[in-house]
Amino acid sequence: MTEKQTTTSAAFFATLKRDLLIAFKKKNDIVNPFMFFIIVVSLFPIGISPESDRLTEIAAGVIWISVLLASMLSMDNLYRSDYEDGSLEQLLLSPHPLFFLVLAKNISHWLVSGLPVVLVSPLLAYMLALPSEAYGTLVLSLLLGTPIMSLLGSIAVALTVGLGSRGLILAVITLPMSVPILIFGTLAVQSTLNSQSPIGYISLMLVMLSVSVSLAPLASAAALKISVN
Amino acid sequence: MWVWFSKLGSPKWFYELSGKWLPWLIAAMVIFMTIGLVWGLVFLPPDYQQGFTSRILIVHVAVAGTSLAFFPLMLVAGTVTLVWRMKLADMVAKHAAILGAWFSFITLATGSLWGSVMWGTWWEWTDSRLVSMLFQLFLLLGVISLRSALEDSETAAKACALLSIVGCINVVIIKYSVEWWNTLHQVASPVSLDPTSPNGPQFWIATLIMIVAVYLFLSVSLILSTRNEILERERRSQWVQDLVLKN
Repeated sequence: MTEKQTTTSAAFFATLKRDLLIAFKKKNDIVNPFMFFIIVVSLFPIGISPESDRLTEIAAGVIWISVLLASMLSMDNLYRSDYEDGSLEQLLLSPHPLFFLVLAKNISHWLVSGLPVVLVSPLLAYMLALPSEAYGTLVLSLLLGTPIMSLLGSIAVALTVGLGSRGLILAVITLPMSVPILIFGTLAVQSTLNSQSPIGYISLMLVMLSVSVSLAPLASAAALKISVN
Repeated sequence: MWVWFSKLGSPKWFYELSGKWLPWLIAAMVIFMTIGLVWGLVFLPPDYQQGFTSRILIVHVAVAGTSLAFFPLMLVAGTVTLVWRMKLADMVAKHAAILGAWFSFITLATGSLWGSVMWGTWWEWTDSRLVSMLFQLFLLLGVISLRSALEDSETAAKACALLSIVGCINVVIIKYSVEWWNTLHQVASPVSLDPTSPNGPQFWIATLIMIVAVYLFLSVSLILSTRNEILERERRSQWVQDLVLKN
């Protein structure tokens, strides 16, 4: 063999770097879900009520649901272009465990679509009149919840990657699965507002994150193998 | 043992065997269903608190209990599809998803009928079992829509098997996370052998008979739809054509 053997960790970082590079070359894919998130959040005060008392009550839920919807939109980029140009098949043929390559793709997806949303959330929380003591909990819960969304959504995207138009079926499959994250994320913020400790809910989200990091890429990898023959 | 196991995967063998079982299952179903329904809906004395509305529960409890069986069933069928590539398991899984969606819907419908009288509301978000049943219905609809979206039947079989496994794990997590809310739903009533007590034998025996009847109904409908599916998918094979010529 004249070819140099690569280690799995090298393949992991190469995949991560490649996906981040592609994401920054196609800025539309990053910016559009982000703009969607901000616009959806700003529609709620117009549709419900501009009074800050009522906005305070719904702020956490509005931000969380908008995050879920925005992640549905960005999810489409995860494997589609790779499937269309054939690089997904190359990924499947690679000698390295698919688990780590899928994990790398999910992490890069979260970095470009989840993290910006988390970073801008305090600003939107301010606009929705959320009391400032809850900002920390909101950011922390989003920081734990958005990677779970990327990991769960990745399974559904991998299952539907061969379909022509799959925007809606993706949401139908993934959104019901996001219920536990939504419950614990909003309960954490509510408990901070009632001056209780949110630590219980945050630790539960941490548990869900560790379970999804260890299991979801496995399911995504199996789903990719099913979809790409 | 393995011969028996691999035989089980053969649609023809299943078709013949289920043909022999079906009359017995249907007879048992009719008997249990008649006893349960007549007893539950006609003869059961009114509950001292709930009045005659308690009769809805006889059907509701049986259907609700049965509808919880679908995701475990699909988990088993999905694992068999992925590991042993049995076509039969996928045929069962396909119809289990559809039947499961119907059962979940009927559970929600009978539950709201009862709730509209007893709680004064058709829908109550604070009740955890209502909400988790609703999301079980959504997850089942997701599996059904995935199958109808994928054209290649082999890809659809494996994809739905994987989604059922993920969905089964998820249903459990959803159930427990939704329970963090305040719950309005009745705790399961303890059974009692005393005929004068509100939870006396006339109630729980009637419920038990209905549960058996609904499980039999589930088996019969699942077998019938699986047989249909077998005939449709195997329509090019010799034994199906012989069967059609014979009838």
